[in-house]
Amino acid sequence: MSTDKQVADKISGWLEAEAPMRLPDRVLRATFERTRTTRQQRGWRALLGRMHVNRLVPMGLATAAVVGAVFIGAQLFGSPGDGGVGGAPSATPSPTAQPSPSPDPSVAAPSSPADGGLPVGSSYVLISGGGVRGTVTVPAPGWFGGGGIMTRDNVDPPAGAGMITFVGEPLYVYGDPCDWSTTKPETPATTVDELVAAMAAQASRDASEPVAITVGGYAGKSITLHVPDDAVFSECDQGYFGSWGVPSESTPARYHQGPGQIDELWILDVDGVLTVIDTAYYEGTPAEHVAELRAIVESITFE
Amino acid sequence: MRRDLVEAAQRGDHEAFEVLATSAGDRLYAVARLILRATDLAEDAVQEALVRAWQQLPTLRDPDRFDAWLHRLLVNACTDQGRQLRRWSRQVRPLLLDTAIADDTGAVADREQLERGFSRLKPEQRAVVVLHYYSGFSAAEVARMLGIPEGTARSRLHYATEAMRAALEADARLPAVAHDRTA
Repeated sequence: MSTDKQVADKISGWLEAEAPMRLPDRVLRATFERTRTTRQQRGWRALLGRMHVNRLVPMGLATAAVVGAVFIGAQLFGSPGDGGVGGAPSATPSPTAQPSPSPDPSVAAPSSPADGGLPVGSSYVLISGGGVRGTVTVPAPGWFGGGGIMTRDNVDPPAGAGMITFVGEPLYVYGDPCDWSTTKPETPATTVDELVAAMAAQASRDASEPVAITVGGYAGKSITLHVPDDAVFSECDQGYFGSWGVPSESTPARYHQGPGQIDELWILDVDGVLTVIDTAYYEGTPAEHVAELRAIVESITFE
Repeated sequence: MRRDLVEAAQRGDHEAFEVLATSAGDRLYAVARLILRATDLAEDAVQEALVRAWQQLPTLRDPDRFDAWLHRLLVNACTDQGRQLRRWSRQVRPLLLDTAIADDTGAVADREQLERGFSRLKPEQRAVVVLHYYSGFSAAEVARMLGIPEGTARSRLHYATEAMRAALEADARLPAVAHDRTA
């Protein structure tokens, strides 16, 4: 009878002898032809993937939900509110930075609580890139973070909430979010005013009047956009209703999660770096979640 | 350097991804070919795994785990080929000694019996065998890679090894016979 080592050696030797040496080049060529035209999972989906360690998130949610964007509170800064969630926005936005209770959190991984969420009261680096670093304070349980995004459980209709940030990237604001593939501008918006003007001019967005704001000591403008309640995403280009794109992606970088989504945007010039904080929710989002979004925005401090 | 490439690919840098995919291609293909025992299915599995890798790279939490993660995608892609594999298995017996190396009779018989034992394993058992005995991953690493409990990985490995041991020992009891093969 063969010893375990003899059997293992025979199996290893046989597999070595059987293994092919090289992957045919044509396979890689065919693969890259596909990947060059295939979009990566970005934004909410990417964060949802990172949240797989959260065992307390209901499985159905984890598998079915497009990760919800946490929308930083535009209303907080006085953008025209029409969502009816959490009451009327402040007329003169002036978020006050709060001191961070802990010095320097991990940027990437949701941590500590058993559900994988961010610890209440901890500092969290929400904005990081282009030389800009912005820290927020986690206001309540149930918030998750990663890659410039914070969400509650999801950002899907009818009650999700979340926020996503874009820092130092050229943003191409589509002329029409549904026909985005044919309405991408030749040049990106590179200033606060250019970006706000492009958003205000988008078709079918019912944009609010831009409002001057100050966030974390930096000036900018806020504007609120809406996804029409009757929008049919499946009739849009590649199924995306998208607000804007970035150079590295062939499909919208900011794509929306459903009709009725409300986007309140804080667009800042942070020492010359265009910084966009996009908070999103729905009319059905619980008021406390919107209040938490506002608290997060209020807490932003820039280093 | 490799971590830099993974992070760049996560940000959508396709050239970085091509470097990663090209460097991993041969290893992935060997694993897929050993699991599936069919060249065309293995090529499809590698392609599918790499496309999924590109799509899902932004969800990879730890860039240092790229290789293990990629192997997991590959094994999943191999599993997805199961239906085709079963259909193929009914029509074509596994490749075997059509390129038999001239060596001693015992070694040839071992190969035949190992092939026979391996071909009877389920794809998930084959995956564990290949990742352990060919790629050199421990049972614990295989478990993490495949997202299964370590006990399950050990169980699959034990069962598969015993099945192949039984095939070898059957060969020791019986004279080698020429098996009908088409491939």
